Amino acid sequence: MPTSPASAFGELYSAYAAGRLDPAFALLLETQSMLRPQVRQAMAVGETVSGLMLERDQPAAMSANAGVRALAMIDEMEAAGGALDAALRLPEEPELSDLPEPLREPALRAYGGKGWQNLASGIRRLGLDVGSALEVELYRIQPGARVPRHTHGGQEFTLVVSGGFSDETGSYGPGDMAINGPEDTHQPVGDADGICYALAVRDSGLRFTGVMGLVQRLLGK
Amino acid sequence: MNDTATGTISPAVREYHADCMARIAGSKCRESFSELFDFYAPRLKSYMLRLGASDIEAEDLAQDVMVTVWRKAEQYDRKLASVSTWIFRVARNRRIDRLRRVTRPELDAEEPMLRPPEIEKPEDTINRVQIEQTVREELAKLPPDQLQLLQAAFYDGLSHSEIAEAYDLPLGTVKSRIRRAFDRLRGVLDNEDISDA
Repeated sequence: MPTSPASAFGELYSAYAAGRLDPAFALLLETQSMLRPQVRQAMAVGETVSGLMLERDQPAAMSANAGVRALAMIDEMEAAGGALDAALRLPEEPELSDLPEPLREPALRAYGGKGWQNLASGIRRLGLDVGSALEVELYRIQPGARVPRHTHGGQEFTLVVSGGFSDETGSYGPGDMAINGPEDTHQPVGDADGICYALAVRDSGLRFTGVMGLVQRLLGK
Repeated sequence: MNDTATGTISPAVREYHADCMARIAGSKCRESFSELFDFYAPRLKSYMLRLGASDIEAEDLAQDVMVTVWRKAEQYDRKLASVSTWIFRVARNRRIDRLRRVTRPELDAEEPMLRPPEIEKPEDTINRVQIEQTVREELAKLPPDQLQLLQAAFYDGLSHSEIAEAYDLPLGTVKSRIRRAFDRLRGVLDNEDISDA
């Protein structure tokens, strides 16, 4: 797999920093950043740039008593008990709890919701809801298990989170991302040394527009 | 207060803002909140106006963000980011959140990236203090044309094509200017710079 310097994806990082990236791709990038220091560094630089731009921005005129009203909102909130963040009750599941931070919560939520879907012997799939129109799924692949051929209208991005799989294009380990077009008939096989968790985002034939289309160039290795 | 050369805040003020955050988190200090409000709310409003919000919406969002800052203050870690980086992320995530609620009200997700990662593997830990330092230093040295495009991409959230159109520049020029600026801020040496030396 060719090495692609993170700088080639500057547009991805600016889109992420500015909140323009589809939540599915944001999750892919955030999860990959937990596995690839270079990606994490680029994301941190991007967000620092945005923060500096905020500092530099021309202050807009606020309405009279804006500050007073803000304090009143805070007082009201504190008086109400301050616990407006209803603690998210998530189910317990040891393997899913080990997933990197940005992935853990949607995975546990899905586990407590619709739950695992069994695809084939040794392959399970969890549909994640991250507020995207794209399909986001967490695959659990046992050693030696083969992911069944799945047709999809568009492109599919698969990030290995733990363990690994191999297909005709090569071997993928944590942090690597495989990109497959609609014509690809790849059937990845889980590596022998452990359970493989992989995060897959599919467009199901929807056309990528704008910044989402950029992710096509994002190669993990 | 502001560094007039770059427009960014001085180290002393940055430290002061971090101290304010600590007092909000530690003792719910309202004076500290007001200090941060006075600095950030007008800038947040300006940011929202740029993104197309009306005057009322922009102010409402700025208030919303600052109240969220109060609520989540104990998640701020001065070792990981400057207050402006953190508040920007709150603003960005609140916007995404509010947009999402319009379409998916049942999703009340926590914003995971506001919390520092629970376990950062030591060998993979990036040096965030260094990042803040390098980005500030290098930003001050960027030529105005690169800075302008960087702001358009990272702050206004325009895609490269949108920037090319807005600034009437070839797409290739936009891409390479932003790439060079971003590389510089990341501390990556530009191969072209090396060969030109």
